[in-house]
Amino acid sequence: MKKREMLIPEGYNLPKEVVVIPGKDGSPYLQFNTAMLTLYKQTYGELSPFFFGIREGKLIGARCKKCKQVMVPAASWHCPNCNFASMEPVTLPHQGVLAATAPITFFPSATFIGKAPFCRGYVDIAIGAPSASFLPCRLRTTTGIPRPGIFVKGVELKIVFEDDRQGTILDIFAVPMQEVPAKLRKKEPLLASQLNLENPPVPKLTENKKWKAPFATTMKEIRAMAGKITKGSRATKDLADRSHTIGVKTGGGKFAMVIANGKLRIVDTAPKKVDFTMTAEDPTVFSKWVRGGSLSDAVMEGLLWLPNLEAFPALYALDRLPRSIRRDEEEK
Amino acid sequence: MMRRVGIVGAGITECRGRWVEKTYWDLFQTAVREVLASSKMTVDDVDSVIYGIYNDIFEHQAIPESSLTGLIGMTNKPGTRVTSGGATGFYAMRAAIMEVASGMSEVVLCVGGEKATDCFDPISKSPTPMVINTIAYSWDPFFENPLGATANDSYMQMCMGYNDSYPGDIGDPLVRAKIVEKLCRQGNRNPYAQRRDEHVTVEHVMNSRWIIPPFLRLLEACMYTEGAGATIFASEKKAHELSERTGEPIIWVRGVGAANEAYAAGRGGYYKPLDRIVSDRLAAERAYEMAGVKPSDIKIVELHDAFVAQLIVTMGETGFVKIGKTRALIDEGIMADIDDLGDHKAPAGKQVLVNPSGGLIFGGHFVGGSNMFSMWSARREMINRQVPLALVHGTGAMNACFGGAIVLELDERGA
Repeated sequence: MKKREMLIPEGYNLPKEVVVIPGKDGSPYLQFNTAMLTLYKQTYGELSPFFFGIREGKLIGARCKKCKQVMVPAASWHCPNCNFASMEPVTLPHQGVLAATAPITFFPSATFIGKAPFCRGYVDIAIGAPSASFLPCRLRTTTGIPRPGIFVKGVELKIVFEDDRQGTILDIFAVPMQEVPAKLRKKEPLLASQLNLENPPVPKLTENKKWKAPFATTMKEIRAMAGKITKGSRATKDLADRSHTIGVKTGGGKFAMVIANGKLRIVDTAPKKVDFTMTAEDPTVFSKWVRGGSLSDAVMEGLLWLPNLEAFPALYALDRLPRSIRRDEEEK
Repeated sequence: MMRRVGIVGAGITECRGRWVEKTYWDLFQTAVREVLASSKMTVDDVDSVIYGIYNDIFEHQAIPESSLTGLIGMTNKPGTRVTSGGATGFYAMRAAIMEVASGMSEVVLCVGGEKATDCFDPISKSPTPMVINTIAYSWDPFFENPLGATANDSYMQMCMGYNDSYPGDIGDPLVRAKIVEKLCRQGNRNPYAQRRDEHVTVEHVMNSRWIIPPFLRLLEACMYTEGAGATIFASEKKAHELSERTGEPIIWVRGVGAANEAYAAGRGGYYKPLDRIVSDRLAAERAYEMAGVKPSDIKIVELHDAFVAQLIVTMGETGFVKIGKTRALIDEGIMADIDDLGDHKAPAGKQVLVNPSGGLIFGGHFVGGSNMFSMWSARREMINRQVPLALVHGTGAMNACFGGAIVLELDERGA
């Protein structure tokens, strides 16, 4: 069993206070901390059959007895297309196709901070029906952090069920069918524990001559940047209390970044034990970062591969470095 | 329409990322004071009020219009609050127009606004994630909200669907960046615009951080704005009377169209298709039909540009360029350039002036009143440039499923 999560996470609060803040007009104004908070014990009502289905490892839709259209999920039992003719429950297959290329969320709402990036999209499940609504669904891959090119229109998807299900839409997610081992493709329900989602294999990269020279330049730039970190307070602060060993593989060569004691050390050979490995065929994604770009932009474009969410705190700390160094230098 | 409806005044507040100096009470009152003063009217001239307020959570009050009634001088008059997501401003104006057209009222004040950035997220110690959270309550609590839907994803889902069906059309970052640069220069000329002092170039856009590749970088998105806007609608008789008082020409409402698509995306039936903004197309077609005009007759457009890629698709859906060939906006110079037109020239030939206010990206986006902001600009530009016909557009809700359009006509005595 997962540890029971509370709705409002720890730290999601503000102290009771009234403070003075400056206006644009130069005058002082007062600001008070407050909240608009409502807790719910919300009924699933007519949606209960769908969520009972989820708990039982089934996908339930509603089919109109008259026009045969299928609502996925079963959102109503009266067809709005047929003057509210009655609809009946149908058990749906655990597979479908992505109805449209899906966006990847990197900048989530407050509720989802720490859970991004993630991908959500619309899955066409009732493919044989003359008309059907799409299942809004979390999309996951066994090949690392979601990136452009995986969840494109028409890709065949397998619906996977979490092992421990409460009855929420996040109890299910879709994975590209080609990532599911052949012997599991027909399994219903396929459980999350039957797939390797947390520790994807590092993509194989073959080193290419054309990347050798750019790699050498990139290494010089990263080392020069790493040397400047301890010379300013902002950059040192970015790395304070952090400890990461990150292996890096590129088409031009390998290296590792060791973050400890407020410093970034660049080493040619990765230590045996790394927290995670990131890969990029094009080593210049690191040059762009050093020159004021960001590594997360490279992740979003699909140029830099990361295994899982655990890699992101380190990535965001690294992202801040070039800007912090520049501001430290400007101050001097 | 049952009776002719004229616009005799429009006013807005300055658009700001945050107003420390004002609560939403004073923002709404400021817009009302602006519109009444510029129209040489008092609250006694007004019969009724329509409020455009999108989201109670931003205002932090469940019936926000109730506390406004007395403060804006509408005590003992009828008041209706309209809330329709991003299209709230449009639908509020539609309600005001209907009230005059029906004969129910002679003069109706329509005021909308938003106080969005008092929200604060204690984890990231910044307002933005909480603002996104508040907007995310626009999605249902059973499926979309728990999945983490946001306004960005919602519009980008539609853009990605469009790109699946019409590949390569909105995918050229240079075309989008050129549009942003034009909008920026237009926003520079709007004294109320939130980003009137910014100078954003094509290079800035193309080097700005990604929000959602491949159609949305930071400089391609609208802002969160605090502000309010007000418009006054009057019957034909009253409009002439008030116009004589101000010496400013009447802007007639010649056509209004609206359409809301289904919330659920799907295939066939009445489901929302993911590759088009059907609501925009239907709303525009209906407004053109009522007005008896074609898109080519219209020279000024103030459209709801939540994101540049969506602006481009909306220009296709509203008939100014062909769907699938929208890059003509730049390639064929359909989008007029403010530097060529200055403050008084009208667009010529095939050209159309799009969002002279700077739009929601550079001007401002105080959701409940953003379309009143557009109306204020369209009126101003029609009068200054002596342009006979203009279009004001609004969109909103999940995957842009709400749409509205108003065709405006400059009174012949002003032309």
